Amino acid sequence: MVPTDRTALSRRLDGARTHAAGVADAIGARGAFLATCCVLLVVFYYPVGTVLVAAFTRGGDPSLAPLWATLTDPFYFGALAGALADPASVPGAIAEWAEAGFPAVRTGLFGFTAFLALLGTAGAVAVGLPGAYVLARYEFPGRETVRSLTVVPFVLPAIMVAVGFTTMFGTNGALNDVLSLVGLSVDVAFGLPIVVAALTFYNAPLVTRFVVAATETVDVRAVETARTLGAPRWRAVVDVVVPQVLPSFLAGVLIVFVFDFMAFPIVLALGGLRLATVEVWIYSLASDLRIPEAASLAVLEAAITLALTYVYLRVERRGGRDTATASVPRVPLLGPPSAGRLLALAYACIALVLYVGPLASMVAESLTRGGSLSAANYAFLLAQQLGSGGARPTVAVSNSLLFAVGAVALAVPMGVSVAVVTGGEGRLRRLSGALLMAPLAVSGVVTGIGLLRGLVFGVDLFGYHLAVTGPVAIVAAHAVGGYPFVVRNVAPLLARVEDDLVAAARTLGAGPTRAFRDVTLPLVAPGVVAGAAFAFAISVGEFNATIVLARDGASYTMPIALERYLSNPSVGPYLGPAAAMGTVLLVVTAASFVVVERLGGRWER
Amino acid sequence: MRRRHYLRAAGATAAVALAGCAGDGGETTTTAGTASGTRTLTVATYPSFVDGDGSPGAWLKREFEAAHDGVAVEWTTPSSGSSNVAEYVQRKRRGAAIDADVYVGLNTDELVLIDRELDASLFAAIGDDLSHAGDVREELIVDPEGRALPYDTGYITPVVDATTLDAVPETFDDLLDSRYRGDLLTENAQSSDTGKAFLLHTIHEKGGDGYLDYWRGLLDNDVRVLDTWQAAYNAYTAGEAPMVVSYSNDQVYAANEGRDLDAYEVVFLNDEGYANPESTAVFADSDVPDLARSFVDFVLSPAAQDVVPQRNYQFPATTTGSLSGTYAEYAKTPPTPVTLTYDDLAGHVSEWVEQWSRLIAQH
Repeated sequence: MVPTDRTALSRRLDGARTHAAGVADAIGARGAFLATCCVLLVVFYYPVGTVLVAAFTRGGDPSLAPLWATLTDPFYFGALAGALADPASVPGAIAEWAEAGFPAVRTGLFGFTAFLALLGTAGAVAVGLPGAYVLARYEFPGRETVRSLTVVPFVLPAIMVAVGFTTMFGTNGALNDVLSLVGLSVDVAFGLPIVVAALTFYNAPLVTRFVVAATETVDVRAVETARTLGAPRWRAVVDVVVPQVLPSFLAGVLIVFVFDFMAFPIVLALGGLRLATVEVWIYSLASDLRIPEAASLAVLEAAITLALTYVYLRVERRGGRDTATASVPRVPLLGPPSAGRLLALAYACIALVLYVGPLASMVAESLTRGGSLSAANYAFLLAQQLGSGGARPTVAVSNSLLFAVGAVALAVPMGVSVAVVTGGEGRLRRLSGALLMAPLAVSGVVTGIGLLRGLVFGVDLFGYHLAVTGPVAIVAAHAVGGYPFVVRNVAPLLARVEDDLVAAARTLGAGPTRAFRDVTLPLVAPGVVAGAAFAFAISVGEFNATIVLARDGASYTMPIALERYLSNPSVGPYLGPAAAMGTVLLVVTAASFVVVERLGGRWER
Repeated sequence: MRRRHYLRAAGATAAVALAGCAGDGGETTTTAGTASGTRTLTVATYPSFVDGDGSPGAWLKREFEAAHDGVAVEWTTPSSGSSNVAEYVQRKRRGAAIDADVYVGLNTDELVLIDRELDASLFAAIGDDLSHAGDVREELIVDPEGRALPYDTGYITPVVDATTLDAVPETFDDLLDSRYRGDLLTENAQSSDTGKAFLLHTIHEKGGDGYLDYWRGLLDNDVRVLDTWQAAYNAYTAGEAPMVVSYSNDQVYAANEGRDLDAYEVVFLNDEGYANPESTAVFADSDVPDLARSFVDFVLSPAAQDVVPQRNYQFPATTTGSLSGTYAEYAKTPPTPVTLTYDDLAGHVSEWVEQWSRLIAQH
């Protein structure tokens, strides 16, 4: 009896499994892709469209006048604006310029923003790439933890990073204290260098994580083959590893550039308005409700970054087609000194100063009051927890974690399906691939206004008022902000998966979904995990969309609580209570990353 | 206030399920209404006005409810970026529900913004109907139409570290002196209240024709314009510069933390401080306008003026209110308070800020 029952049950289970696989096959990647598009439409394209349309209308009629006015304003586009406004004047202007001995050309707000973004990107590569090399090449205790923690800087609010950098690198900062011992000093306050250093602090981890994820799927057999054929090790690496890692590296660089191009609070907190970027002006115009001008700037800003994305997508498809089954073996970091080990050590020292310095400064700020050691800032958090009407730290922590888990759960399938459907050759795929990156490319300020108009104000349909706010909307908005990281991490790895392998699985009877799950997905797993980590970080650190959508007075997150402590009149100008919340944010985020990646790491193997 | 049917999208069950575990069951923005005979007064403000038991909002709610049987005060803090007023302007323009009766925390330039953007009235004129409106200090009356009534004010002025400066500046022109080169920190007038107040003060002194020249002088003297008061103050306390544009009650905080008060000396340039009054107003769409007006009157009453401004770390806006304790000792009032009124700002303030910020960000 019992065995028969079991057989029947297992047969029924098998049946159900086959049925489920059949349904999944029927829906497939395209179905998931369509669902993704629906989410994007409701939570991103429609809301943002309600704002950006202002750039293309005047007095209710279609018009390019707002865009043209922005393009021909020398404040925004410098010399280019003059050339656009009056092309006939260009030869004369060039002659005058040559006569004057080629003085510096005015580049406008966009020119400066691009310049700053280039510097920030260069910094991120200079710090992030060696970091990736150390993590990919060497084995050392705590390597996985360090890898997990790389994304932590991403979640910190600008004001906290500003505190850390002033304490660490300011005129009276720790670095100068050390340098003064040998009679040296650096004066970087309010200058370009400290701003670039802060942008590097935020974005170098991006380069590191993208590249590390790619190296974990490099096929080491090709290196061995090359060496067997007599190539020296460096040559084998250059010829074999570099082409495989390049697309992921460039994806990281692209996103870093986009982030730096849209940098805003950190630039003003450390450098001041003299170093204003385009995003600063969008914020200012939007606050003054000059929406057409703000929308025009946002459209041009997004056009630049989306054009770069389109160019990048041409490169992404050229990553070669090798599939990892054996990854590069790592050598122990601790051992007899070699050039590589010494360089790695030197790098570790630099990374320690750049990362641990500012973070430790924030923690130290949270533990002091009026210059001496004190628990007063944590007492403030406790008072907020026990009092009424304020933002409770535990609520902020649990909301942040819940939203982040929800956002990752949504962002991963969204990202993977977009990577699958827009992968491959073809101009149309590239174009849609670029347009689907828009959540990264559109100004956060504009997205915030769009969410307010599109989702919070809502629309009237069939006598009902439709408004989308609260936790569901927040999770969806966070997923939309995070899913591009999944796409850009997964797509380069996906491009390298050999079609033969998938075809073989299909020949053996696996449906497309099964073949994807059992063959393709494990091969791109490091990219999925890295993308999920970024989606998590984006969610935890998100501010603009959350504050707009948290309408119920109970959906506040850690960054919002921090902001509220910052503006509490009883606290005044001092940053201790915010630093205490910043420390909570840091600890909670770091712990989550370690846990999430342990789970993800188990799945990867 | 219009009550409308609300249908939460994305699946009502999903929304409820998630809402249930996310947070401590806070109230929704739509109120239950008049079911049990209680009347609800919804008051919109910024979060820090109502954060915690020691906040001015907590006191106002308790006292107003005690004085009015069957009335419940409900705070709403629709913070969506820089300004809550901008949200209400957009609501009005796009026909979305206002869902609030009273607004607390209005700056004068925001009133200008409202009138520039809207043909219809967002706020009702109430000045003539209130028993305490006449108590508002003469120099703080900002709205000629009696919609916005100031309930407290801050005075914005430089705070200097007298322990490192040889001599403290006394006039605006002193700041151009090369001995103060690189010494002054201020804030971005595009986004910061203190930064905007200091800019408007220079316009008050130098006029709309002359203020940019004055700022060119400040730029030549290496003035630093950071984005927020906190960022500027952080640089100040870290010793990056010995002068910061701040509030005239900074010594209250310094004293609370046991710091050296000489390092936080409040300086009134030309013996003036720029008053930045915060006003309260009644929404024209309120469906309990009488109750809303009596709330505003209550905020201006002598009892409230003795408490609310001090809890908000500001100064009373009426002649009846006073400060107490150590706060009264350390909060400084300028010999001559100055401010630009609605009439001064209307038609100019956007352009002033835009020209100024383009001057600072010379790329």
